[in-house]
Amino acid sequence: MEKAKINASQLFVLVVMFEMGSAILVGLGASAKQDAWIAILVGLAGGLVLFLVYYRLYMYYQDIPLTSYAQRITGKWVGRFIGLLYIIYFLYCAARVLRDFGELLTTTIYTGTPLIVINCLMIFTIIYGIHKGFEVIARVGQLFLMIIYFLAIVGFGLVIFSGLINLEHLRPILENGWKPVMSTVLGETLTFPFGEMVVFTMILPYINNPKKVKVVCLSAMVLSGINIALTAAINVSALGTDLFVRANFPLLSTISKIKLANFIERLDVLFMLYLMVGGFFKISLFFYAAVAGAADIFKFTNQAQLSFPLGTLVLFASVTIASNYAEHIKEGLSIVPIYLHYPFQVVIPVFLLIIAFFRNRKKNAEATSNPS
Amino acid sequence: MSILSSIMKKKKKQRKNDNYRQKQDPLKPEDLPILREYKENIRRIKEEFGDSADIVCRDFKVSIHKGALVYVDGLADNKVVSDFLLEPFMEKEIIPERIDIFQYVLDQAVALGSVESIADWNKVYDSLLSGNTIIFLDGCTKAISGETKGWEKRSISEPTTQLSIRGPKDSFTETLRTNTALIRRRIKSPNLWLESFKIGRVSQTDVGIMYIKGIANEKIVKEIKERLGRIDMDSIIGSGYIEQLIEDQTWTTFPTTYHTERPDVVTSQLLEGRVAIIVDGTPFVVTAPAIFIQFFQAPDDYYSRFDISTGIRILRILAFLIALMGPATYIAATTFHQEMIPTSMAIAIAAQRENVPFPAFVEALIMEVTFEILREAGLRLPRAVGQAVSIVGALVIGQAAVQAGFVSPIMVIVVSITAIANFSTPIFAMAIAARLLRFALMGLATILGFYGMMLGLIFITIHLCSLRSFGVPYMMPLAPFNINNQQDVFVRFPIWAFKKRPPFMSKGNIVRTGENQKPDPPKPNDIQETKGDK
Repeated sequence: MEKAKINASQLFVLVVMFEMGSAILVGLGASAKQDAWIAILVGLAGGLVLFLVYYRLYMYYQDIPLTSYAQRITGKWVGRFIGLLYIIYFLYCAARVLRDFGELLTTTIYTGTPLIVINCLMIFTIIYGIHKGFEVIARVGQLFLMIIYFLAIVGFGLVIFSGLINLEHLRPILENGWKPVMSTVLGETLTFPFGEMVVFTMILPYINNPKKVKVVCLSAMVLSGINIALTAAINVSALGTDLFVRANFPLLSTISKIKLANFIERLDVLFMLYLMVGGFFKISLFFYAAVAGAADIFKFTNQAQLSFPLGTLVLFASVTIASNYAEHIKEGLSIVPIYLHYPFQVVIPVFLLIIAFFRNRKKNAEATSNPS
Repeated sequence: MSILSSIMKKKKKQRKNDNYRQKQDPLKPEDLPILREYKENIRRIKEEFGDSADIVCRDFKVSIHKGALVYVDGLADNKVVSDFLLEPFMEKEIIPERIDIFQYVLDQAVALGSVESIADWNKVYDSLLSGNTIIFLDGCTKAISGETKGWEKRSISEPTTQLSIRGPKDSFTETLRTNTALIRRRIKSPNLWLESFKIGRVSQTDVGIMYIKGIANEKIVKEIKERLGRIDMDSIIGSGYIEQLIEDQTWTTFPTTYHTERPDVVTSQLLEGRVAIIVDGTPFVVTAPAIFIQFFQAPDDYYSRFDISTGIRILRILAFLIALMGPATYIAATTFHQEMIPTSMAIAIAAQRENVPFPAFVEALIMEVTFEILREAGLRLPRAVGQAVSIVGALVIGQAAVQAGFVSPIMVIVVSITAIANFSTPIFAMAIAARLLRFALMGLATILGFYGMMLGLIFITIHLCSLRSFGVPYMMPLAPFNINNQQDVFVRFPIWAFKKRPPFMSKGNIVRTGENQKPDPPKPNDIQETKGDK
């Protein structure tokens, strides 16, 4: 493990940046139509419960990351295997987000630029950041959160003053009952982005004040959940249900509709700035978790050494995981949640928690019976 | 990376060998005792200095005892030597015969403030070369050194690079002692400590560090002393040498130490817990640790009211961003993101660029490089020719280039705004960082438009966040964010709100302003009993 310490406010910033990173950009919960915001909030509630599972595990093993305590819980070899699977999972997630990000740029602005060039420069910047250490990433997060929030407020004001908001689009609420909403929650919003908090099992050991972890993480999740839901509501009310469901990037469509005083228009650059910063943090954290996990399992003392080879891996994976954007999205919506997100975000952590609970109970029982 | 580090390792090894060799430094004279025969001593000095013309030796007699004094003409004050050394000696008519003449001269004959007896030969040289006068007496194995320093020095004048409107008008000079006095006059506290070093194997430059005991962080002071002690070079010619030898990271364009020629700035920094490094021969005092935002704080910020200074500071940061990104934004907008420019303006730009034979990047590069050359030439040229250059520059940049269809008028506007914005950064070292990075961003904007530019900016931000200055994170108090220390960042709070010193620099003694300092005047009616307006 790297010798880094981050404080509670830095953890808050990282959670917010990570959760909002790419979730705001894509049309999250689009299958629930105008009720996307409800699906997001319900997903948030489920995500909070999931986080409590990770938090319990953290409480049992405060100084070591997931890859280490999996070994303590299930034994050396099974634990290592689980750890290895997690590393691959994190690398895959990093590659997925990088692909999302590259696709967005190549389909909207840089139509003539090859995907690998865009991704290559991005991953290079991320490698540089990881190379400088986790503390630096946390500090960069603090700086960018201010900028992002400033831009978000400006953008929000502009959307309102351009008269784009039409609240009628949000009605009727729960048109088809709870069923489509719940299926959206289970298929989409629970695992992405809230279940992805599993990354923080690799990061929580760096916190210098373990008592604050619970409050900080939960409040950061709630804040980002509300922001995402608000954005979804704004998108629906500005674009209408139909356009919202069909748009690849609803927020981009909303922003490009802004028109004020015949001068402030086509603010795609604001969107792009947000996209870059959000994407940067999302990929960085997944990637960092993979690097830290690999260093932990394979006993690397200098984990910065790993950032370059693993970064190259992420870069090539991002280009090869799908042959085109449609395939990429299809995988992301129907395969990844069931075969990857559920096992890694729900099944394995719950399973680890149950074993850890019994192990620690036995230990505690021994500890209490021995002195007497 | 590994190749680089292996080269570094090799160099380290080599340095060790060099160090070994340096122990027998041929330039350092052997340490010999002082001889009884004073003529021998004089002869030795003359020999060692190769009979240099500015070494003055004068024999004298105190009643019956013979002796000689030596000083360096130009370093010692001739008048002081004759009035306070020679005259008293010669006036002594009769002195008791059986007396310790050395003690007698030391105690009664030398009419100087600072007198010292010296026993070893190296000290004789040190003392002689710092402008003191050495007195050898016949039959004594010790010498007397009297302080007669008095060389020609530049008088205190107005600062030339860091001007202010309301601040004091004095600035540092090349003389160490004058500089320390300027600081001491502003902080009349015995806790203001000055420690001095001699650095430079040949040049033996005087270097002093000043800090306020009890406010400055002991660890930082110790670290600075250690880094100064590590310096092993033949000469320290300016404070820039010291700066480069003690900074945390060499591979950065950003300055991690601060330098100023204004005593008031140094004073305020000492009071925040920083350490000042004063080098003899340089009118710029280096202070450390330095943080990023400090380079945007000008002395006038504190002398004028807070709302005005806040506005000006934000303007300055904006100007820095323009200086960093101006041409890059222009390139990105015209080559990749034409749709972001409002239509009428896009047409205007396109019409202007129609006759320009170059792509935007080459156009911008030509103009930027021309401007940088002009600026550099303007710095070096004799003053009389300077004006000619600025006229030629204005014509070449401003008019001829446009008329020749070389560049578009809007490019001229972009370059000139960038150039002027660059001058508004108070500290040159920070302005020059923006100047250099601007070219990198221009290149990135050419390759990938705003995407490339933003990657560059993220890269710069990561770099800034990874920097440290003597252990203090460079982006303090923004990242790591410190809510209690925001009074002097983007918004300059009213002066009474400066309650505490930055905690990362000073440990312990943190409170700087008492309670209830906010002006709370009585209601106007209490002072002046008015009976309504007339």
